[in-house]
Amino acid sequence: MTSPSGPLPPVPRVAGRILDAQLHLMDRQVLDHDGVPVTTVDDLEVSGPALDVEIPPGTAPPVITALLTGAVLGTRIFGGRPPSSRLIRIPWKDVAEVEVVVRLGVSGEPLDASWVERWVRDKIIARIPGGRHDPR
Amino acid sequence: MKRLLGVALGVLTAIGGFVDIGDLVTNAVVGSRFGLSMVWVVAVGVVGICLFANMSGRVAAASGRATFEVIRERLGARAGLANLSASFLINLMTVTAEIGGVALALQLASSVYYLLWIPVAALAVWLVIWRVRFTIMENVAGLLGLTLIVFAVALFLLKPDWGALAGQLAPSVPEQETVWTYSYYAIALFGAAMTPYEVFFFSSGAVEEGWTVKDLLQERINVLVGFPLGGLLSVAIAACAAVVLLPAGISVTSLSQVILPVAEGAGKLGLAFVLVGIVAATFGAALETTLSSGYTLAQFFGWSWGKFRRPAEAARFHVAMIVCLLIGMAVLATGVDPVQVTEYSVVFSAIALPLTYLPVLIVANDPQYMHEHVNGRVVNVLGMVYLVIILVASLAAIPLMIVTGAGS
Repeated sequence: MTSPSGPLPPVPRVAGRILDAQLHLMDRQVLDHDGVPVTTVDDLEVSGPALDVEIPPGTAPPVITALLTGAVLGTRIFGGRPPSSRLIRIPWKDVAEVEVVVRLGVSGEPLDASWVERWVRDKIIARIPGGRHDPR
Repeated sequence: MKRLLGVALGVLTAIGGFVDIGDLVTNAVVGSRFGLSMVWVVAVGVVGICLFANMSGRVAAASGRATFEVIRERLGARAGLANLSASFLINLMTVTAEIGGVALALQLASSVYYLLWIPVAALAVWLVIWRVRFTIMENVAGLLGLTLIVFAVALFLLKPDWGALAGQLAPSVPEQETVWTYSYYAIALFGAAMTPYEVFFFSSGAVEEGWTVKDLLQERINVLVGFPLGGLLSVAIAACAAVVLLPAGISVTSLSQVILPVAEGAGKLGLAFVLVGIVAATFGAALETTLSSGYTLAQFFGWSWGKFRRPAEAARFHVAMIVCLLIGMAVLATGVDPVQVTEYSVVFSAIALPLTYLPVLIVANDPQYMHEHVNGRVVNVLGMVYLVIILVASLAAIPLMIVTGAGS
């Protein structure tokens, strides 16, 4: 290492806001367009070359293709990886805004990520008297 | 005028809601064994809960984020899950203790065996959570809990030697006790005053009621006036025990002994009041802890939650709470003594304290969440001091539990 003879060159400018995937995306609450919680960002799906492959120069940088939820939370904590068919994806194009929370531009109701909520509602909660009663 | 009434109502609710089965039992046990020599612990605990409840309320009002969302966002999935497991289990223990407390109080009032009251109490808790509006639920339980003031009234009617009582206030270990049992009960009392569910409930409640930064003043008054007065109520419970039970050599092992001084000081009428107060306080705390178990799970996994939604719009949240109530009932059905469950739950609460309070302190300093409402310097210094106290209490709890045989 040579000691720098002058101030470091400035960081190259990037258009838009810089997000740290670990800090600003992972484990953040996901809300749908009505502000209803959908899930938490359990993991991210990133496009790009396979592991251990030489990356040729000029390759397009990887981009986030989807937010993941479901079984990935378990494998993220305890290691391993579920088969690709078991991943529940929220495509990145559905994401409208990244603030303290991640806001979707679509309704959460029909998403795959909401299937357990739908199941519990239809099979259990809605069948108990008063389950659809508005508390206000 | 309406605003003043709102403030008064909030303060009264905070006082009535402060005491739960943990405070009742631990303060009476400590009063009957150590006199008033641990009042300083209650004071330290009350300042701590004021500090952190206020902080988590401010986080909720400024960012709309409740405490357990914040915990997962800051600690990540792995540490967050470890935290959830510990907090959830301790909370479940507290739910069990509170339902047992409701049943024991109903037994004292009706002479019907408490095990028969447990399904009734659990069903009533569920019905209120299922149907009753959040603000009504909170205010009614809090206001009825105010009848516990009868402990203070009874203390005056007992006409104690005030000078001798004040003499007990200095922290000192009574002859028949050891430093270790003293420290063990000090931690239990600290855990009872600072139970983490209060922060989960307080911050989620702020989201339920849709608080914004405009409501911060009201929130601050509720906490800074209501909780210390609730703490005085705790001291009155300990003082009653110190006046009646300590000289008689009775150490508290049941709820009937907790209310014995009230019966002696304030007679039948006092007894009626204290029974209403204990049922209201434990029932209110059963609601809060049951909701807290739903809040923690839903906030960690990102489910839809809240009593402001229809149950069908927060389905997993409601199912989680039903399951918790069933587990609590099943545990009590084994015949385990609810008072003992309570004694363990406050110590385990003390062990879990740093897990809850560290992330709250971190986020309360994060401008992305808080904008201009980040912690001031004084609050941060106090927060750091408390973090050290909490950490020491947490680390010392298990060794002390082993050394003292859980305080026996």
